Amino acid sequence: MNLAGIKSHFVNWREWELNPIVIKELRQGVRSWTVTGMLLLFLVVLFLTSLGFLMTQSFDVSPNLQLGGSMFSAFVIILAGASVFFIPLYTGVRVAAERHVNNPDLLYVTTLSPTRIIFGKFLCSAYIALLFFSACMPFMAFTNLLRGVDLPTVFFILFFLFLVVCTANMIAIFLACLPMSRPFKFLFVIYGIFQSFGVIGSLVGISFTMMRSGVGAMMTGRDFWIGTATAVAIGVMLAGLFFVLSVALITPPSANRALVVRIYLTAIWLLGGILSFGWVMQTGNADRMTAWTYPTFLIMMCALLVTISNSDQISQRVRRTIPQSRLKRVLAFAFFNGAAGGLVWVAMILATTFLLSRRILLAFPKSTVDSSAGYWFVTTTAYAFSYSLTALFIHRKFLSKHPPKLAGLFAVLLAGAWAIVPSIGLFFLNRLSWKSVEGLQLGNIFNVFAVRDENERHQHLLFAGVWLALMLALNAGWFLRQVKNFRPPPGAPPVLE
Amino acid sequence: MKIEVKNLRKEFGKTVAVDNISFSFDSGHIFGFVGPNGAGKTTTMRIISTIEEPTAGDVLLNGISVCEEPELARRAVGYVPDTLPAHADITIHEYLDFYARAYGLRGKKRTQAVEAIEEFTNVTGIRDKHLKALSKGMKQRVSLGRALVYDPDVLVLDEPAAGLDPRARVELRELLMLLAARKKAILISSHILTELTEICNGVVIIESGKILETGTIAEVLKKSAPRRTVAIRLLEGNHHQNPQLLKELLQTPFIENAREVVNEIHFDLTGDEAAACGILGELIAKKFKIIEFRQTKANLEDIFMNVTKGGVQ
Repeated sequence: MNLAGIKSHFVNWREWELNPIVIKELRQGVRSWTVTGMLLLFLVVLFLTSLGFLMTQSFDVSPNLQLGGSMFSAFVIILAGASVFFIPLYTGVRVAAERHVNNPDLLYVTTLSPTRIIFGKFLCSAYIALLFFSACMPFMAFTNLLRGVDLPTVFFILFFLFLVVCTANMIAIFLACLPMSRPFKFLFVIYGIFQSFGVIGSLVGISFTMMRSGVGAMMTGRDFWIGTATAVAIGVMLAGLFFVLSVALITPPSANRALVVRIYLTAIWLLGGILSFGWVMQTGNADRMTAWTYPTFLIMMCALLVTISNSDQISQRVRRTIPQSRLKRVLAFAFFNGAAGGLVWVAMILATTFLLSRRILLAFPKSTVDSSAGYWFVTTTAYAFSYSLTALFIHRKFLSKHPPKLAGLFAVLLAGAWAIVPSIGLFFLNRLSWKSVEGLQLGNIFNVFAVRDENERHQHLLFAGVWLALMLALNAGWFLRQVKNFRPPPGAPPVLE
Repeated sequence: MKIEVKNLRKEFGKTVAVDNISFSFDSGHIFGFVGPNGAGKTTTMRIISTIEEPTAGDVLLNGISVCEEPELARRAVGYVPDTLPAHADITIHEYLDFYARAYGLRGKKRTQAVEAIEEFTNVTGIRDKHLKALSKGMKQRVSLGRALVYDPDVLVLDEPAAGLDPRARVELRELLMLLAARKKAILISSHILTELTEICNGVVIIESGKILETGTIAEVLKKSAPRRTVAIRLLEGNHHQNPQLLKELLQTPFIENAREVVNEIHFDLTGDEAAACGILGELIAKKFKIIEFRQTKANLEDIFMNVTKGGVQ
C-alpha cells in the first residue's frame, strides 16, 4: 500500500470492517456446543474449586492468610489446562478440516488475502482465549480479597498465560496449514497434546515462582522489566514466525512465498543479534552471544531443508517483480523463491553469525565457550550444505520429474542413513560399542559432536570441506544457470477486464 | 470474457485425471461439460476455479492465468461444487453475508447484494435456517447464491441440478439462461443431458480425462449423429396399414432400420430434409392416412451413448 492508499484508508475510517473470518468464526464459535460446553464446564470447575476451598477454610479455627494464594494457584492450573490444551486444539482442528488436502474450504479461493485469512483465524482464537480469561477473571480477582496474592501478580500471570496461549494458537494454525494427510496431522495432534502438558507444567511453575516473589515487589527493578520485555519479545517473534510461515503455506505456489519468510527471519536475526550484543556489552560476558548463535544455527538448518525443497522454476508473476537494477537484483536473488537463492541466503546468515560471534567471543575474554564450539559450527554447516547439495544433485539428475520437495527428503535420509547404517553394520558384525559410536565416522554429521580428539576433528573438517567442494563443483553449472535466468520478463502483464 | 483451457493435465499419483485437454468458451454462452463418472469433469472445473493446480497446461481468463495469478482469477470465477461444504452453526444469511464480505463487498452494497441473491435463489423465507438443516436442493440454491453474490463473470457449475426436484430444475434452467443473457460465461456439468441440450450453446464430451467431442451443439450433433430418426403415425383406426407401410418404407432409398414402435413406424433416414419431404409426398400419394410425420432429433444423450465407452480411472 502506497502513501496515498494509507491516507485514503484512514480518511475512510467509517468503512472499516472487521475481518470476515473473525465474524464468521465467532458466530460459529458461540453457537457451537464445543466452545460453549467447554466454557460451561470450565466455569463449573472454577465454581466447585472455589466452593471447595471456602468450605475447607470454614472448618479451620485460625484464619488462613494464604488462602487467596492457594486458590489463585488452583485457578492458574485450571485456566492453563483449559486454555493451553483446548483452545489451540479447537483452532487447529478447525483449520485442518478446512485445509483438507483434497478438498479445501471455498473460503481459501475467495479474494481474501492469505494474510487476512490467517490473521482472522488467529484473532478468532485470541477472542476465544479472551472469553475463557474473562470468565476466570472474577474468580481470580476475588482471590486478592482473601490475601496471599497481590493484584499485579494476578494480572501479570494472566498476561503471560494469554501470550503463551496466543503463541500456541499460532503454532496450531501453522501445523494445521501444513500440506499433510490426515494421519500425519493426527500424529501432530498427539504430539501437541503431550507438548501442551509440558507447557502447562512450566507455566504453572513460573506462576508459582512469581507468586512467591510477588510481582508488585519486583516491578521497581530494572532487571524485571528487561526480563519481561525479553520474554514478551520472544513470544511475539515466535508467534510472528509461525504467522508468516502459515501465510506462506496457504499462498499460491506461483506467488513469492519465500520473500516474506526470509525478510522476517532476517529481521528477527538482526534484532536478536543486536539485543544479544547489547546484553554482552551490559554484562561483559561474551557467553550471552550464544543466545543468538545457537538458535540461528538451528533455524537455519531447518531453513536449509525448506530451501532445497523449493522449485527451480520461478513463476511469471515472481519474474515480473524481479528488479531491473543489477544491485537490487543481487539482493532479490537471495530473498526470492528458488533453491539457489535460498542457499545463498542461508550461507550468508550462517557465515555472518559465525564471524560476528567469533569476533565478539575473542573481543570479550570473559567467556566459557571454547574453540570446539567454532569447530562444530563450521564442520556441521559444511556437512549440512554437502548433504543438501548432494540431494539437489541427485534430484536434478535422476528424479527431475518428481516434485522438488524430494530433495529435502533426500537430504534428511542421507544424513540419517550415514548416521545409522555404519552402526547397524557394526551391530551385525557384533562390534557395536560406545567406543565405536564415539570413534571417527567421517560423513556422519552427528559424530561431529561426539569426537573429542583434535586430530579426528580436523579429519572431519577436511572430509566435510572436500565433500562440499566437490558438490559445489557439481552444482556450479546449475547455480550459474539460476543466476542467469533470474531476470524480469519482457512485455507487460495481461489485465483482467 | 474468453475462457481458454489450454493443454490441461492433472495427475494424482499414477492416475491421469485430465489428459491434455483444450477448449474455450465466451461470455454469454452456456457450455456443457459432459462425461461419465470419473471422466475428469470435476477436476477440470476445480482447476478453472483455482481450487486445484494442474500438473501441466493452463486456463486463461482473458489472458490471466489461473496458475500464475489465482488471486486475480478468483475475482472473475464463481464455483458451485456438487455438494455444499458442511458448515456447522451458521445460517443461510450469515453464510452468504460471509462470502459477500470475503469478496470485498461492503456496507449497504453488501446488504443489497445478499438480499438480492436471497430473492434470486428463493431462500429469503428461510434465510435464518441453519445450513445443516437444509435439503439437498436448498443447499444447491445456497451454493449457487454463494457463487453469484459477488457477480462473477464466469460461472462454473458442477452438477447443479443433482438432487433438485423438477420445478427447481426448470427454475435453474431459466436462471442459467437469464445469467447467460447477462453476458456471463457458464460452464456446467450435468448428467441430465436432455436439459443441457435445451440450454447449452456448446458442449465438451470427456471420458478418461480425454476430450471425445467438442463444439457447438449443432456441430456435435451433426458430427456424431449424422442420421435422423423419423416417426410416422397413421390416423386412428388405420393401424392395419402399418405392415404395408413398413414394407413400402423398406423398399424406399435413404431409409434404414424401419420398425414398428407401439402404434408408430420409426426409421433411420440417411438423406437430408428434402429426401424426408419426398418420402412424405410419396406416402400420401399412395393413400396412407398419415396424421403425424416427425423427425426425432438426436440429442446429447444419444451422442453421449455413441461416443463414450463408460471408461473410468
